[in-house]
Amino acid sequence: MHRRKNAARAVDGFSNRRELLAGIVAATAIATGQDLITTPGKRPLILHNDRPEDLETPPSYFTTWLTPNDVFFVRQHLPRPTVAEATYRLAIDGKVSKQIELTTADLRKLPQQTVAATLECTGNGRGLYRPRVAGVQWMRGAIGNAEWTGPRLSDVLKLVGADLNAAYVTVNGADTGVAKTPDFIRSFPMRKALHPATLLALQMNREPIPDMHGFPVRLVVPGWDGTSWVKWVTNLSVANDPNTGFFMNPGYRFPKHAVPPGGAANPADLEIIEGMPVKSSIASVADQDHIPLAPTLLRGIAWAGEQRITRVEISTDAGRSWHNAELSPQDLPFAWRLWTFKWTPLQEGYYTIMSRATDSAGNIQPIVATWNPSGYLYNAIDRVGVNVEKTA
Amino acid sequence: MKRIISFFGIALLVTCALAQDTQLAERGKQEEQHSCVQCHSLRLVDSQRLSKAGWEKEVNKMIGWGAPVSDRQLLVDYLSQQYSADKPQPPVEFTQTTAKQKSATPSSK
Repeated sequence: MHRRKNAARAVDGFSNRRELLAGIVAATAIATGQDLITTPGKRPLILHNDRPEDLETPPSYFTTWLTPNDVFFVRQHLPRPTVAEATYRLAIDGKVSKQIELTTADLRKLPQQTVAATLECTGNGRGLYRPRVAGVQWMRGAIGNAEWTGPRLSDVLKLVGADLNAAYVTVNGADTGVAKTPDFIRSFPMRKALHPATLLALQMNREPIPDMHGFPVRLVVPGWDGTSWVKWVTNLSVANDPNTGFFMNPGYRFPKHAVPPGGAANPADLEIIEGMPVKSSIASVADQDHIPLAPTLLRGIAWAGEQRITRVEISTDAGRSWHNAELSPQDLPFAWRLWTFKWTPLQEGYYTIMSRATDSAGNIQPIVATWNPSGYLYNAIDRVGVNVEKTA
Repeated sequence: MKRIISFFGIALLVTCALAQDTQLAERGKQEEQHSCVQCHSLRLVDSQRLSKAGWEKEVNKMIGWGAPVSDRQLLVDYLSQQYSADKPQPPVEFTQTTAKQKSATPSSK
């Protein structure tokens, strides 16, 4: 009851005329089944779902270490809420000594940290699994790297006298389900909540977090999959047990043992996903591109959840031979590294280019990603075919 | 004569099957709109490529989440026919291209 009231207060209606108009347009779209995509503040992105927005970054943008906000991918489970900062309150309850509500001004009074971290959708690459599985058919672009700024979650928990021996922190945002769709609520263990890089971010790349990305407050859980990074955070609850809603179970779980592709997982075998596996993607050329017969700089990205990237190897002959790529200098925990590889094709023809990353724990990208019924954590060696042609 | 009759017989069967397909497509499209658009765009549905078992599972999940499906079997048959695993992927579309296309459609009300 307490929670519902606070969430409702945090969600202000239509604060100006443009939003009101957008609301009317959206309502009309819903009534007629005609969708009208409005993506304020975004350059053209690959469209998977007009409403709520599921937008993928074209990989050609992955040539800068920080992904600009206006090309950053968007994944919404539920309709995007509009949260007004003036009425925003963060309510914290459960095992806390002071049950209080915080404003953004309160959050700004705490020491501000900036953490560079890669955010990847748990289902990035789902569209590459065979047989296909249901869900947004992300290819390579449900990922981005940004600098996130705000107080440490641990400082917020200490401020309200949270029992730091409690096992879980449960996080809810201002978004709510339509019809009987479950609310998007996530729990994660106290050890990760207390990690110094786990933030309640107020800024993304030094700007207020855009509406689509969780304005005014978004949870940042470096090294963990995007599902944990709850947007529009309005409630934190400290407890010994995790939330048991759909988005904790059976949602966002991965089978402990491999499942035959197309098969079903035993529900008892499903584990909560924490962190992301080692992976690299090719960004500067797309599959079936035509490129001139000339020296080419191949570029891409590599990341490894809570580990660091130690090596990226490139093959331009379908994996017969591999050569080390150059890695970008920023070697930070939680942030991706860019890689480059100078390639001079000797003759025209069709080439299969592959990239393979290794992390600081010795994990190496597999040849085949582990098929799973929900299409999570795709991390096979990346592969694109290109046609090298003599220019006229 | 026999041959002519069997020719017309086959032609009639083919015509009926086609008409049925068209009818399924039309009624199915309406059922899809009615059932799905309250919560999300149809693009999310139409970009899936699933087996019939896969579509059954999705439709059942969405009914559980409150989708106002009036004819479950019709919806499953339609989606399995239109968006089966062997159909090619839809072409890649970008956000602003779509916005332009939509605004250029005069009938959008």
